[in-house]
Amino acid sequence: MSETKIETTVHGMMAEFTTVDSLLSACRRVRDAGYTKTDAYTPFPVHGIDKALGIKPTVLPWICLIAGATGTCIALAMQIWMNSIDYKYIISGKPFLSLPAFIPVAFELTILLASFGAFFGMWALNGLPKFSNPMFTDPRFDRATDDRFFLYVDASDERYDAAGVRSLMADTGSDYINEVVEDDSPKEVPKPVFLIWGLSVAASLVPLICILTMRVTNSSQPRFHIFFDMDFSPAKDAQQVTSLFVDNRAMRSDVPGTVARGQMEESLDMLTGIDVEALTLTDPPRVERLVRAYMQADDQAKAEEQETLEKEAEATDEATEAAEAAPASVMDTTPWVEKNPLTVDADLLATGQQQFAIYCSVCHGMDGYGNGLVNQRAQSISAPTWVPPASMHQETLYADKYPDGKLFSTISNGIRKMPGYAGQIKLKDRWAIVAYVRALQKSQNASLDLVPDAKKAAVEKAVEEAKAELKRQAEEAEKAAAARQQAQQ
Amino acid sequence: MSLAIPNGLDNTVERPGERAPLVLGETTYHDITEAVCKVAERPPSKGWIGGFLVAFALLQMLGLLIVYLIYTGVGVWGNRAPIFWGWPIVNFVFWVGIGHAGTLISAILFLFRQEWRTSINRAAEAMTIFAVACAGTFPGIHVGRAWLAFWLAPYPSLNLWMWPQFRSPLLWDVFAVSTYGTVSLLFWYMGMVPDLATFRDRSKNKYRRMAYGILCLGWSGSSRHWMRYEKAYAILAALAAPLVLSVHTIVSFDFAVSQVPGWHTTIFPPYFVAGAIFSGFAMVLTLMVPARQMLNLEKLITIRHLENMCKIILATGSIVGLAYGTEFFIAWYGQVPAEQFAFLNRAFGPYAWAYWTMISCNVISPQIFWFKKARTTPWIIVVVSIFVNIGMWFERFVIVISSLSRDYLPSAWAYFSPTWVDWGMLIGSFGLFFTLFLLFCRTLPVINMAEVKATLAKQEHMAHLHGHGEEAGEGH
Repeated sequence: MSETKIETTVHGMMAEFTTVDSLLSACRRVRDAGYTKTDAYTPFPVHGIDKALGIKPTVLPWICLIAGATGTCIALAMQIWMNSIDYKYIISGKPFLSLPAFIPVAFELTILLASFGAFFGMWALNGLPKFSNPMFTDPRFDRATDDRFFLYVDASDERYDAAGVRSLMADTGSDYINEVVEDDSPKEVPKPVFLIWGLSVAASLVPLICILTMRVTNSSQPRFHIFFDMDFSPAKDAQQVTSLFVDNRAMRSDVPGTVARGQMEESLDMLTGIDVEALTLTDPPRVERLVRAYMQADDQAKAEEQETLEKEAEATDEATEAAEAAPASVMDTTPWVEKNPLTVDADLLATGQQQFAIYCSVCHGMDGYGNGLVNQRAQSISAPTWVPPASMHQETLYADKYPDGKLFSTISNGIRKMPGYAGQIKLKDRWAIVAYVRALQKSQNASLDLVPDAKKAAVEKAVEEAKAELKRQAEEAEKAAAARQQAQQ
Repeated sequence: MSLAIPNGLDNTVERPGERAPLVLGETTYHDITEAVCKVAERPPSKGWIGGFLVAFALLQMLGLLIVYLIYTGVGVWGNRAPIFWGWPIVNFVFWVGIGHAGTLISAILFLFRQEWRTSINRAAEAMTIFAVACAGTFPGIHVGRAWLAFWLAPYPSLNLWMWPQFRSPLLWDVFAVSTYGTVSLLFWYMGMVPDLATFRDRSKNKYRRMAYGILCLGWSGSSRHWMRYEKAYAILAALAAPLVLSVHTIVSFDFAVSQVPGWHTTIFPPYFVAGAIFSGFAMVLTLMVPARQMLNLEKLITIRHLENMCKIILATGSIVGLAYGTEFFIAWYGQVPAEQFAFLNRAFGPYAWAYWTMISCNVISPQIFWFKKARTTPWIIVVVSIFVNIGMWFERFVIVISSLSRDYLPSAWAYFSPTWVDWGMLIGSFGLFFTLFLLFCRTLPVINMAEVKATLAKQEHMAHLHGHGEEAGEGH
């Protein structure tokens, strides 16, 4: 076989043996003959062969030691940096730098890196992976991993001489000796392997390219969510249906005995609009009921209190109808708070104006005369059960006859057809509305003398402008009415 | 070439002054190669195909259940207040415990020069890797949002702006189990490389030869390579030995570092490690006894190998029994009422059935191995090893469930009931394990041929010395 490949490079000479002992004695003879570039190939580690061939010990243990020590240092540095310096956790009162707690991870990383050192260090020192080896060209060498032992002398050895090595090997009792030649047989990788390799590389790039494209381009679409996590809250809207509660309502009232955030008010006077100190002298049971209703969220007490207020209102209305001229508050024995407990200033009035515009004006009108949009609509369709909203400008609603506390109570608990607004308007905002209503009442009866001198001119000018504007609007309305009439004709 | 065991060849008899043979019959190196390679080279048997189909179906079930779990949420399990560590953690500790025998056999028995390990270490290491894969599945899906499990890793996260908490045993556990899995894999693979070269050199098929050629990294059997290889193997063994002890120690910290009565005990680390070795050896026996018969490997995995493993089962089973007793003693001696209640509740409470199942399987059943007849009869070995597997699963069940179900707050006490998903996942994890194991039998060398050949060489060398009298021994 070797005759046909004269020009191939000769790497060395190999001899085959069938037993460990014959290999070992051959090794010793080759070593004693002075060859140094030798090697043996065996199916299992043969003990004593390193001495027989003169193989030096390896530095692998040192690589391992360094890798292991690196692991310890990395682990300790990592844990100290992460938990003691950069992000300090307080855990069971331990010090931030608690070394005993860092031992397990340090131990594991030491072992891990030392193992990497042993594993990868060994392959690196052995020069593996190396898939092409001149030894593999001889088909008989396949048995080196089965049951045959091979001795090899490299051609680069100073003493190498093909005939001499061959005869030395023949002397050791080997029955197969052959030159190791360069592997020049064409052993290309089969095409399907290349195809599969190429396809899988291309396929593995697809997700990467997708991610990179998404990272660098802008999109008007919302972010793509594989898992929604809590990015979109499944919270229900107020009027939606839910299967969680027996009444199927998503909107829940406060749990009995609880006070919502921002609703905690020490003063019962402020919560009820009643002068509780005065009430204690006349009606102690009612005070107890008020405490239960407002401080302890007792629904039953609240209902009873509501009933009392309704009865009082009805009695007052009847008395008013019966005696036209009689004072409206004749039947009302409740000691109401006389004065708004909040400091009345421009801010409070602004809040009150805003809240009045939102909640009250739809019925009572922006000006408080009781002719809001809802009332206009109800009148136009002659709604049979409609009770017209009260005007804020009747004398019975002035502060001397209708104290601030009573007005507050009416806003909170409702009267006649008007529902209570305690659930919708915040406590302090209700008091702000009270203040604003008082200002509104005053605005319809105020004289220019009440205005400070510095602002008189401005007010007069504003009044003139407002009058002119009203006039203009009235004229326009007339014109429009005339135009409509003409159009109808 | 048949390797059926010859009649009357019994290597379990101790003869004074002689080492018992570990490879039986007139076996040559080539016979070993043939016996091991044939397992992967011959067409698959009907038994293998049937077993693989069943295991693969169970694996698919596990996969579907995991998808269902992630899609729906962890409420599909039976984990309810106060038992938030339910079956997933029981299964995790069970599997990670089983995963201890492989590295123990490879590393510790290697360091103690126990040569009988050579026939069984490969399969035991494979079993370790597959058991760790099963174990790793459960904490991964138990974190709730499984797709964020990578948050456990200490990486500079732009989402969280914080680091993991290194004083938590749960994080130690992440490092311990992943290091263990990695090192076991390296150890297993490195040990397999020379045998993969044997597979390569026997391959007739071009593609098969190429695949094994790449897997064995171009191994040639050079003596220089062998020298560094053996050094690296010894170092890895020396590193893996403390590692294998540390892993179940750290798993036990998951429990012992907490305050729950029944968990907060200092005996846990040694007790867990003994239990892990116990369960691991039981699983090795459960697999090896039928496998050696089906794969015709009786001459290489001999009765003596089985007997040795039975002795370890007996020893570790008794250690575990002693630990159960010690827990009770310390509960009484420590005079902590909650602790005393926890242990009485284990033995006589609503989970008494589980506790006594555990005691009978783990402590009582291995005692039969005091009799040599039992240690050398394969069917008895299989039955006892299966009992031990069941018992060790129940041990983890008792520890996790009974302690959590009745802790300090009696108003929260509850009785755990698993859902069909819990059952499905436990069974499915066996599907994963057996799928991997059966694939391993068909594609990779099930026995470490190189080491068995080395053992055979040594055995022949000793026989040679013995046969030729004292004078031939000179110079060796």
